Amino acid sequence: MTIQRFASALCIVAPVFAQWINYPTPGTPRLPDGSPNLSAPTPRTADHHPDLSGIWQLEPAPCTANAIQGCGGDYPGAPEFGNIGARLSGGLPYQSWAADFVKNQTSDLGKNDPVALCKPSGALRLLTYPPYRKIIQTPVVIVLLSERDVTYRQIFTDGRPLPKDPSPSWNGYSVGQWQGDTLVVESVGFRDGTWLDRRGSPMTEAAKMIEKFRRTNFGNLEIEVTVDDPKAYTKPWTVKLHQLLVPDTELLDYYCNDNEKDAVHAVGK
Amino acid sequence: MPLGRITLSATLVCAPALAQWLNYPTPGIPRLPDGKPNLLGPAPRTADGHPDLSGLWEPVGPANSSFVGNSARDPQFADVGKEVKGGLPLQPWAADLLKSRLAVDSKDDPDSKCLPLGPIKMHLHPYPRRIIQTPGLLVILFERDTAYRQLFTDGRLLPEDPQPGFNGYSTGKWDHDTLVVETVGIKDGTWLDVRGAPLTSAAKITERFRRPSFSKLQIDITVDDPKAYTMPWSIHVDQAFAADTDLLEFVCLENEKDQSHLNGGIR
Repeated sequence: MTIQRFASALCIVAPVFAQWINYPTPGTPRLPDGSPNLSAPTPRTADHHPDLSGIWQLEPAPCTANAIQGCGGDYPGAPEFGNIGARLSGGLPYQSWAADFVKNQTSDLGKNDPVALCKPSGALRLLTYPPYRKIIQTPVVIVLLSERDVTYRQIFTDGRPLPKDPSPSWNGYSVGQWQGDTLVVESVGFRDGTWLDRRGSPMTEAAKMIEKFRRTNFGNLEIEVTVDDPKAYTKPWTVKLHQLLVPDTELLDYYCNDNEKDAVHAVGK
Repeated sequence: MPLGRITLSATLVCAPALAQWLNYPTPGIPRLPDGKPNLLGPAPRTADGHPDLSGLWEPVGPANSSFVGNSARDPQFADVGKEVKGGLPLQPWAADLLKSRLAVDSKDDPDSKCLPLGPIKMHLHPYPRRIIQTPGLLVILFERDTAYRQLFTDGRLLPEDPQPGFNGYSTGKWDHDTLVVETVGIKDGTWLDVRGAPLTSAAKITERFRRPSFSKLQIDITVDDPKAYTMPWSIHVDQAFAADTDLLEFVCLENEKDQSHLNGGIR
């Protein structure tokens, strides 16, 4: 299965998107013509923190003739979906085994990608997937709902510490605290075998991830992600994921495993 | 594969991990002088005065000897019509369908295929779920397959032509201390229990959520599906607050080896 074909699988769900799209998101500031005012100030919660709540999409790549992701569809993608280090000068600082792994997976057309097998995307990839994500912020927990596979991730903001011996999982275990107007989230407890992008950049259970969430105005969310995984990378690296608010719509059911016919045809090279 | 084996083996796999994150005290709950959770008090309320349904909830039922740990199982998980007087009022074709499913040990249960279960079976599933209540939205996070369901309480109407889905589309409003939720848009092929009681896309589900005390959640569910049933019918679901624990990650497709062995009783 090629990246292009995988992208086309995503497009199958696009036509249904028009169905629930016409409900105006409550609490959205509006211009005189009724359209959402996306440059309005950052909303705040009762406890005065920025409110990250909303439906978000990773800023798509500019539309070009040979774009990996289809242009004009409902799920345009960003380069980080294909290569999380796409915008890093020099690329990701892979350990030699990790560089070999990526080379092999890429030449095998990504057929072993966990998401091609309907496995979870993992915490970081949940932020780069073309389908939307919805953030729900409460004082004690922030929940990310992902349209892709109708799954979620919890970030605890009730002051608890990170677990010392976490059970390895796809999402890891995340705690966050506010530093000024920035939510700083630390995560540990990832499982070996996680892919961070379509080309197969690996993450191991040695990884620690730090995400800095900053909602700069109503329509924009900056997420700066630092991955420190000494088993897979020679040094920590940081990427910025710019998310755009998607107003007046809602998440749909997208179940990877429903009527799944692709995996047996993913034969690689 | 006999009924229950899947649940049993899955529970066995995930039970040892359950001890790992169990020791974090749930913040904001009332406690006795010795630090234990005080579950006898009244239901908490949100800033807007409604009962707060938020919390981690588990089924109530006889502890099943086939389960590791303290997972209780609501008998309605296996047989949703167990407490319905006279049994489920199945239309003839639906009765035939149920019979044919039982004849092959219900091997085609969507649960066995790692597909979503729909709102009713998810209420009855043995694994815990967490309700997060915000002013315009109630979200249920399920441990089973790390899935969620949204119930909109911001005043929106049900869609007139919903896209059929596993969860359907749910809107709720408060009737005094009861949250009344209506759901449409469930897809054909949904199973309501392990046996295989069917639900069709004609169904309208009404759920009444009440939290009569701190530790108790009650859900009264009415199913009105004229395609599959001759009249509407109702069940009652009890859930208990689970303190000082949290959801773990359970991914049904992870290392899944069961499906290929489901042979419907043919040896």
